[in-house]
Amino acid sequence: MSNPSSQIATQLTTTKGLTPSPTWLTSFLTTQRPTTPLPALTQTACFRLLASDITTSLSPNPTSCFPPDIHNANVQERRLVGPIAVQVLSVEDMSKSRWEQIEAIEALERGEGTKGREIIRVAATEEGEDENAKRDGGPHKLALQDAKGTRFYGIELKGVEGVGLGMSMGCKMVLRNVVVARGVVLLEPGTTMVLGGKIEGLHKAWKEGRKAELKAAIEANERAA
Amino acid sequence: MARKILCVAEKPSIAKSVAQHLSGGQFNTHSIRGNTFIKNYEFDFNFNPPWGQCSVTMTSVIGHLTSLEFNEQYRKWHSCSPVRLFDAPVETEVDKDKKAIADNITAQARYAKALFIWTDCDREGEHIGAEVRQSAYKGNGTIEVKRAQFSNTERAHVIRAAHNPINLDERQVNAVSARIELDLRLGAAFTRFQTLTLRTLGGDLEDRVISYGSCQFPTLGFVVDRYFRVKQFVPENFWSIKVMHKRDDVEVTFSWRRHRLFDRASVVILFERCLTARIAKVIKLQKKPTSKWRPLPLTTVELQKLGSMFLRMDSQRVMKVAEDLYNKGWISYPRTETDSFDKGMDLKKLIEKQEQDQAWGGYATSLLRGGFRQPRSGRHNDQAHPPIHPVNFVASGSLSGDERRVYEFVVRRFLACCSEDAKGESTTVEIECGDEIFFANGLLVLERNYLEVYPYEKWNSSQPLPRFSLHETFEPTEANITEGETSPPGYLTEPELISLMDANGIGTDATMAEHIAKIKEREYVMTQPRGGGAQTNGNGNGNSGRGGRRERSGRGGAQGGNNATGSGGGSVQQFIPTTLGVALIEGYNGIGLETSLGKPFLRKEMEIKMKQICAGTKSRNDFVNETIEQYTELFVRTQQQVDVLKAACRKYVFGEQP
Repeated sequence: MSNPSSQIATQLTTTKGLTPSPTWLTSFLTTQRPTTPLPALTQTACFRLLASDITTSLSPNPTSCFPPDIHNANVQERRLVGPIAVQVLSVEDMSKSRWEQIEAIEALERGEGTKGREIIRVAATEEGEDENAKRDGGPHKLALQDAKGTRFYGIELKGVEGVGLGMSMGCKMVLRNVVVARGVVLLEPGTTMVLGGKIEGLHKAWKEGRKAELKAAIEANERAA
Repeated sequence: MARKILCVAEKPSIAKSVAQHLSGGQFNTHSIRGNTFIKNYEFDFNFNPPWGQCSVTMTSVIGHLTSLEFNEQYRKWHSCSPVRLFDAPVETEVDKDKKAIADNITAQARYAKALFIWTDCDREGEHIGAEVRQSAYKGNGTIEVKRAQFSNTERAHVIRAAHNPINLDERQVNAVSARIELDLRLGAAFTRFQTLTLRTLGGDLEDRVISYGSCQFPTLGFVVDRYFRVKQFVPENFWSIKVMHKRDDVEVTFSWRRHRLFDRASVVILFERCLTARIAKVIKLQKKPTSKWRPLPLTTVELQKLGSMFLRMDSQRVMKVAEDLYNKGWISYPRTETDSFDKGMDLKKLIEKQEQDQAWGGYATSLLRGGFRQPRSGRHNDQAHPPIHPVNFVASGSLSGDERRVYEFVVRRFLACCSEDAKGESTTVEIECGDEIFFANGLLVLERNYLEVYPYEKWNSSQPLPRFSLHETFEPTEANITEGETSPPGYLTEPELISLMDANGIGTDATMAEHIAKIKEREYVMTQPRGGGAQTNGNGNGNSGRGGRRERSGRGGAQGGNNATGSGGGSVQQFIPTTLGVALIEGYNGIGLETSLGKPFLRKEMEIKMKQICAGTKSRNDFVNETIEQYTELFVRTQQQVDVLKAACRKYVFGEQP
């Protein structure tokens, strides 16, 4: 019987499109009791992977990463078979003006929300935000990163379940047969599978910095204009 | 000798028309000593048992008879620390200028078997009824007290009300008396405190009263809030894609399903993919009947909003005019939340009365000849009054300009309610170009129906779309990226302000217009026509204005003065806060109270609790005590952090840099 390490790796690669690196797996297994049955181990490994930073936890194989010239805007369209695992670094809703989003964040900071014309008091809880996030429009633009650390943008060509302002940063997605147009990945339900997960530090920083980011983006656009 | 019944209405005009209806026009008029507006009308009327044939004296008050005041020793501004006003003893007094009216009721009650109260059927009217009762008891401790239930002064309605009296609703009386007490205490405490404190800053603040009111401040808060949204607004670019196609000599423009995106690079990529696809395919072709719904029956809030939109009158002016029309018997009671007509009401009879009009008479006739539809029912019902509707016909020649316009609006709205919806056919063509979807809509109006009589709404056919068939493919003539820029919101207009007050429970439909007028009068806000220069109005006539009804005592020509602004103007008025208005709201928001006085939450809570009193689920005392406790705490916090308020005034009023 082969060692649990390669069995877990094979299992995760075929079912999830996630190929953990041998170093990560080894250190993961040291934290587990050797008597734990394999399915349970695999599940725990998957859970840990989703909460990890894939630039350190996944193997950067050429087929599971984007090619080095991914950003080349001269390429009108190409299709990548994958599967490529990526993690989300930021998300924005392209259908809303940044100012509109800033106003909504500030109202929430004051503990106010709106229900139609009525101004209501809301507690800034996670649930409250999720409620708001559910209603956002999209399409969304996501900053993504693969196991090699390459960063690029993805936009929703069609709405993908799990993508929205309410999603967690560090959330993992697997792309199969995905189209890249002018250096931007086009996300669709058929090519994009959201696995979930979250990188705590990244998520916190994104959330706290979001208002400043939006303001900076407005200023950058003003300068460009 | 027949028994005597004393009837008391809320205003002289109502007393007169009720007297006319009950007496059949046969009555004697007597002046009373000390007031030239009030008359006593004497006649006989045959009431239902147990009363039977009685001699009647019909008279009236003019709004509230009494007001609540602090005891003598607390009345002077420097007599005590403002915080004492939260629990200082208070007493109810007959207003000096109402003394003769109260005496008249006391005297008339002396020989009467019963008192019939004919005040308006709403919360405020119920309380006025209790004030009348108090004066009557002074003359006759055993007089029986009844109340007439009516909502317009149409003859049959009035007679029915006289035959079916009910009792005064003590809960409503209590709710209003609690509100009066709270308005007095909170208003006086904060007004004295902030006036005296800010006075020390000198300059423009040295000799003005800086009043506080629990409705005034949230109302001002809405105006300031919007002002900052306008001021801070940053425009941003957005991009969209348009697809054009020419067929049968018609140029159709297809709009992007995504509407617009704020990311240029993404739009360029999506656009390129459309161009590459080259061919568009019709994926949806839908023709369906559509209709534009006739309006709901008219409520006060709607009348005020539409009044400033269509009739170019401010809400206070509209209400004043509507009330005059009601007093004269042309329309039903104009203060109502109800937006559905009672099924039993004979609407056709009301339509019949409008047949004689030059402008809409023909339309009224067409309704009676088969066009009539039972009006839609809204979800609001105050259980006291029907929606606003015309009660009698009056030729437009015998009305003044503003009266004519409000009457015409009420009639047209009523006829529109009783009409069929407007009917049309809408066509939607949806095409797919690569992964992007575009659509074009067409509208063909088939029957205008209610729109014939209701020119305040528009619904027009669009340019007809050329023929397309489902699944067909074609090569669009042209596709473009378009670019645009977001524009700031406008300053708050009166209809918007009323909607906000309504949605947030600030004031009742009966008092909203007064609160708006008050913040103008206090120079917390200015109004200007949309797209014009600012103009200040009202120069504080020093009326303390407690106890809602004082300003709207509706005695015909005797009032006036207050309504100089707003009627003639050509466009919708918008509100801009003055530097003082901004300073007050920013100051209170900065103090860090859990709920700022400039926000609507506290007042909304009060309104809810008043409704609970009316429903019998809360006692007057609990309500008053809870609210006083809440505001005392806010008051103490405000005192501690008064520097924040002063700093806001220095910054905004005097333009000092912090």
